[in-house]
Amino acid sequence: MSKRIAVLVFPGTNSEEETVRLLRACGGDAHLVHWSHGKLLPGFDAYVLPGGFAYEDRIRAGAIAAHDEMMDYVIEGARAGKLVYGICNGAQILLEAGLVPGTGEVRRPTAAFTRNGPVPHFINTHVWLKLAVDPQRSPMLRGLERDALIPAWASHGEGRLAASEAELRALREGGHVAFVYAHADGSVDDTAIPNQAALGCAALVNREGNVLAMMPHPERDGWTFNHPDRRRGNAILEPSGGAVFFRSFVQAVNA
Amino acid sequence: MTQRMCAITLKIPDNAAYTTLTTLQRLGLPVARVERSEIWVVDDAGDADDFAARMERNETLFNPNKHRLAVLDANAPRAGEMWIEETGAHAPHGRRRYVGWRLLDRDGKPADRALLREAAERLLCNPAIEKAHYA
Repeated sequence: MSKRIAVLVFPGTNSEEETVRLLRACGGDAHLVHWSHGKLLPGFDAYVLPGGFAYEDRIRAGAIAAHDEMMDYVIEGARAGKLVYGICNGAQILLEAGLVPGTGEVRRPTAAFTRNGPVPHFINTHVWLKLAVDPQRSPMLRGLERDALIPAWASHGEGRLAASEAELRALREGGHVAFVYAHADGSVDDTAIPNQAALGCAALVNREGNVLAMMPHPERDGWTFNHPDRRRGNAILEPSGGAVFFRSFVQAVNA
Repeated sequence: MTQRMCAITLKIPDNAAYTTLTTLQRLGLPVARVERSEIWVVDDAGDADDFAARMERNETLFNPNKHRLAVLDANAPRAGEMWIEETGAHAPHGRRRYVGWRLLDRDGKPADRALLREAAERLLCNPAIEKAHYA
């Protein structure tokens, strides 16, 4: 029997529909759980925090949502080893909740996905994410090949990883940088980074490997019609590149 | 050039301040009211007398339909207030912006420094990207 995946909806979340659709297309038993039904969360086996602007990004992106009652259950679940995956604003929430990188106390953030550089503009651009750790580093990554490339859309005004020098060193040495921005051929250099993220980081994973925070949106490249090289006459709803990661995630949940 | 300071606050209901209040209360902090403001510190070559009027004419910073502006005497938070500075921000030359958070208890008494510090550490300041300045 499939394990149940909760896709959390905070006030201001806006990517829940495409997230739940792609999870289902990849075999996941995914359900939306709204903020007023947080008490249902312990009955789920994994949690996905989609993108958007939870609580209008009041104070900071993810700050209020990180203290929402729903996150009490997510934190409890993460401590028990449940898989937790955050996309974009969901990733920001996980950092504000201290679950990722998890180098400090819960709800005492040690890093942030913050205002883009070099100019603090919103970006909406196609990107490639290169797996930067061994696939065995996290159950969510085990369905990927070493150095896998995942297509996604970077769609954020605040996606630049920022932290102190000491923290960045800890992230690098601790293997917390799960994905880096790359070119389509897999090469990595500064020109592939759309927002000046430190370490070229597109996604962070916690020490235990069960919580992953990813800034770009693979779910928005989950169908052929989402691809930048969309061909005429494409059938819709045919899983494509971005679904590779979602399949790996669902396999890990159901394992 | 003279450094001048002002606080711009909403005169319509501040939903962000209210959400912050309820979150601080959920954290167990004894706060009954939260006031949020944008603090601008500018290098000004004009007269002090019309500083407020000149700032109010800047439509990027001030909307008379929803804002009120107060000129500050000192470049420091007021009683019960902290200023949050975004570190590494690309502030335009000649001006600096903070977010001011003023916390009051049930009797309207300004929060002391210990309470401000706790509110900053638990919610209002992410030390990876921000710095808190206290009264």
